[in-house]
Amino acid sequence: MNTAENESYSPKKGAMISIKDSIKETVISFFKEALEKKIFDAILIPVKVPAGDSYTWILIEDVSLFKDAAPISPIMPVQGANALSSLTRKGKGNLKIAAIMRPCEIRAAIELSKLKQVDLENVHLFSFDCPGALPLSDYVKNPSKGEEIFESFFTENKWNEKSIKPICKMCDNFSLPNCDLHFGILGTEKDKLLLIPNSIKGEGVLNEMGIAFKNDLSEWKKKVEEIKEEKEKIKKENYNNIQPMVEGLDNLAQTFAKCIGCHNCMSVCPICYCRQCYFDSEVSKFTSDNYLLRAEKRGAIRFPTDIILFQSGRMSHMSLSCVSCGMCEDVCPASIPVAQIFSYVADKTQKVFEYQPGRNVGEPLPLKEYKEEELQEIKKLVNDSVSQE
Amino acid sequence: MKEQFTPKIVGFLCNWCSYAGADLAGAAKLKIMPSLTVIRVMCSSRIDPNLVLTTLLLGADGILIAGCHPGDCHYEKGNYYARRRFALLKKVIKTLKIDPERLQLSWVSASEGKRYAEVVNQFTEKIKKLGPNPIQTKPYL
Repeated sequence: MNTAENESYSPKKGAMISIKDSIKETVISFFKEALEKKIFDAILIPVKVPAGDSYTWILIEDVSLFKDAAPISPIMPVQGANALSSLTRKGKGNLKIAAIMRPCEIRAAIELSKLKQVDLENVHLFSFDCPGALPLSDYVKNPSKGEEIFESFFTENKWNEKSIKPICKMCDNFSLPNCDLHFGILGTEKDKLLLIPNSIKGEGVLNEMGIAFKNDLSEWKKKVEEIKEEKEKIKKENYNNIQPMVEGLDNLAQTFAKCIGCHNCMSVCPICYCRQCYFDSEVSKFTSDNYLLRAEKRGAIRFPTDIILFQSGRMSHMSLSCVSCGMCEDVCPASIPVAQIFSYVADKTQKVFEYQPGRNVGEPLPLKEYKEEELQEIKKLVNDSVSQE
Repeated sequence: MKEQFTPKIVGFLCNWCSYAGADLAGAAKLKIMPSLTVIRVMCSSRIDPNLVLTTLLLGADGILIAGCHPGDCHYEKGNYYARRRFALLKKVIKTLKIDPERLQLSWVSASEGKRYAEVVNQFTEKIKKLGPNPIQTKPYL
């Protein structure tokens, strides 16, 4: 993706496509056509597993294998950015790939590209207006019911559905990430879909495929804004609920008391890309003397130890790039609202540097750049730290 | 009589400026409170937030990070990065309300022995007022 182009790009027109059978089939037939026309060599897309109770990422080259593909899947068992990272971590390769992912997955992919874990050069990113995902645990209990609920989002146009993940309920970033092409579902007529180019690269794809993009976007934009406003309200309310859970040592201890120290949240996090986490390493383990000493001082010591250290350490390591995708919460066996807590903290830390993860590929990570004159509040703290006599 | 509280402060001092400044303060026989345990690091930007959090959550009463003045870094820009990392860490700690006051960043050059003594003494006074780190009484953390 060319940064300079993308920075200035804002979509003005889109292509209106008629929906055949369903949104899913329409999107798939678009990709089939693109494969046949040799515009892409392969498509990275969620596909239903043979048992029918989950989805997985598949890189498809053969048109006939699209049978079980689901571009807009009801669940998010593996973060798309992780799949893309597995694919391109060691370099871009010669294949031209199209990947269709949720907006949060695209944002994570962009953050990973800044961390040199994803190479976006030969990848075309496709996204769509995301209605949210169902919690993994709910879905696996009854997949057919999950499918039914998810289907109704599109047929009955209910976007603030109660059954989606809590983090999705408060997601105000559900449309048009920094992708190449975007499928606009909202605000269009019932049998129509908007295909919106969001970069020069994306325009190129439409031109190659001979799809004209002359349709107006205002209805779609209006509807997106409308839902965004609603979601912003929910987000604010949610942050108000989360705040008391994480303020002060006692509340933190209570919130994370359930933590079993499995580190699932860290291992599924797309941003936690380190081959070995500090908290899994021997450096973070202490001798029994150390634990005994701590127990003696405090009266007792809890095992697994250093839960708050793990969580706050992760907050300071990855919160600047946290895309609030909710993977951590989905996999937490103790049902701690990790994603909502991280979203709350990330919102605060990102504001310090006016940074939005995944906003733009060309924007450097906050800790990788600096300005001589900045952070006035911190500068004042440093100056006030000593009064010269 | 109540036993007087002497805070335990961990100081991460950069090798090129602040550590040399501390050395100078010692050589000049300046009065410095015996509260600081010094850890020498090659650069203030080397301090991973985890180091600070570990120190704080294991019960240090205060943490001082000291480096060269902006523009004077031995590696040209390390302290600017350190300032950003500090801003991030401070925000995390502030959001979680784990006594952000116990964390301090200061700039001390190699020639500022006097300034070093003042930084340490004033920070120690501040921590004395705050009292011991409450974490030391919490078994479940």
